[in-house]
Amino acid sequence: MTKIYGEGDTQVRALRDVSFSVRKGEFLLIIGASGSGKSTLLNMIGLLDRPTNGNVIIDGINTSTLSDNQISSFRNQKLGFIFQSANLLSDLTVLENVTLPRQILGNNETAISDAKKLLTTVGLEPQMYKRANKISGGQAQRAAIARGLANSPSIVLADEPTGNLDSVTAETVVQLMKSMSRKLGQTFIVVTHDPSQFGDVDRVITTKDGRAFEGKESNKIEVTA
Amino acid sequence: MGAVLAVTIGILVIHVNFVIFQGLFDAIVRDLTDYRFGNLQVTDEEDYIDKSDHSLVNWFERIPYVYAATPRLDSSAAINITKFGKRIEETRVPVVGVDPLRDIRASTVHKTVTEGQYVFSRNSIVLGSNVAKDLGGAQVGDNVKLKIVDRYGQDQLKRFVVTGIANSPGGQGFDYSVVMHIDTLRDMMNREGYTGSIMVKLNDPTKATEIKEFFLRSFPNQDFKAETLEEVAEQQLAGFRSGIAMINMIGYFGMMSSAFAIVTIQMMLVNGKTKEIGVMRAIGAKRKDILIIFLFQGLIIGTIGATVGTAAGLGYTIYAMETKMSWNNSLPLEVTIQWDKVIQTALTSFSLALIASLYPSYRATKLLPVEAMRTV
Repeated sequence: MTKIYGEGDTQVRALRDVSFSVRKGEFLLIIGASGSGKSTLLNMIGLLDRPTNGNVIIDGINTSTLSDNQISSFRNQKLGFIFQSANLLSDLTVLENVTLPRQILGNNETAISDAKKLLTTVGLEPQMYKRANKISGGQAQRAAIARGLANSPSIVLADEPTGNLDSVTAETVVQLMKSMSRKLGQTFIVVTHDPSQFGDVDRVITTKDGRAFEGKESNKIEVTA
Repeated sequence: MGAVLAVTIGILVIHVNFVIFQGLFDAIVRDLTDYRFGNLQVTDEEDYIDKSDHSLVNWFERIPYVYAATPRLDSSAAINITKFGKRIEETRVPVVGVDPLRDIRASTVHKTVTEGQYVFSRNSIVLGSNVAKDLGGAQVGDNVKLKIVDRYGQDQLKRFVVTGIANSPGGQGFDYSVVMHIDTLRDMMNREGYTGSIMVKLNDPTKATEIKEFFLRSFPNQDFKAETLEEVAEQQLAGFRSGIAMINMIGYFGMMSSAFAIVTIQMMLVNGKTKEIGVMRAIGAKRKDILIIFLFQGLIIGTIGATVGTAAGLGYTIYAMETKMSWNNSLPLEVTIQWDKVIQTALTSFSLALIASLYPSYRATKLLPVEAMRTV
């Protein structure tokens, strides 16, 4: 797929003919310098934006054929998001934030109990009833991980999840994500500018000038259509 | 909070307007009814009523809806007084002749006599407070002379004793007139047996038109004219009504301004919540979910604002009723709670709050998740 912003002389090719597949259960890192297109790539995969050319196929479904409402439902059920600054809703408690995806899905019966289990798993049981704006950055990021897993999505997309954290907290978050991936078998696609934090992962894709290369910078193989 | 306040103030302004201006209008209607015209006034189409006033009064008082009726006669006079050796004269003073016994049942103007007492004998006279002032401060017990031109153009002079001074709040009573016994006035005008008008007070004012029509049917060939208060005081009241309508319109414009305030505040809220809207869309909320969230917010604003505003407005209205609030410290307002208007105002304000939330809610749904989350 290709993504172009703007028109004419102000055109910017954020992505150029990027094409690759991700297997179920893979822990994939997307790395690259600032402005290389990694976040744009993640937005395309996460259906937060549409490619100018090409399409995204998730679990066999060509998402370019979906309507706006269908894409919203798809995101809710198939995708989980972990943002750089957690992006919890500050007016809600930690527990309410984690139950939100399930409430949007319309499945409220076990939403609270499942959310509590997730929060216990990520070590946030004591902070469950605190307002989201009353917890630390590391705690918020763990809550965001729990929210991202609330609907048992096929793919969890994380955009610089450790970007705003100190090294110790970042390590904790990374280990948490990896253990959840192992335990639940979910696919994790993580954008980061610092792959060293993540150690060994299943796969790495490097972006540069809108193009994607398999592997790290030093041994990259371009992934194109 | 600001939006709720806007709705509350919008409603409160309407209520305050209503208490003051409708209260003033109703007070004037009340005083015109109680002092001058009654609920129904009967006159002759061309001249004076020559039918016996007793028979007419008795005819009316046999009707169950009629509380009382009384005859009145109007003229004008020159009045003079000699006070401290100085003669003071006033001309063209309105004169009202009343039947003391019937008048105190059909009218409450006797209650406006603040000094002395109402007319009770053939040579007693009640001066309006302004007339008394113009006569150099005439008092109860003073002697005054009245000169009236009778039907034949002859001056008729008579001396009276001032038995009372009338001073009505707001001046709707006989503050600018003098009141005497109707028979005395008839004698002076050489109009024995004549009556200027019959003032009719009803138990049920809503029956005025019905009784008027019944009366006219009962006396078909008598040149009678029967008018309800609305008809008699049409010109006086029409001006007030226009003023009140304009004041009310200003009030409703104020309410619409509060709706614009809500739009602005809601837009600020949408802008302030852009990132959160983006996050919600990212985790799967549909556009309609976002719409419902912000419309619900508008609903809450409208509900709380309408409730608080209505409560505050009713509180003010009840306060005005209990304290007999007066206009300009004189005319006591006739304050009533009109529940249909209260409900209408609350519903209008609530609806405006909801409508005002539509555009901001729509704008919230238009935010693209990826753009919304770029907001810092």
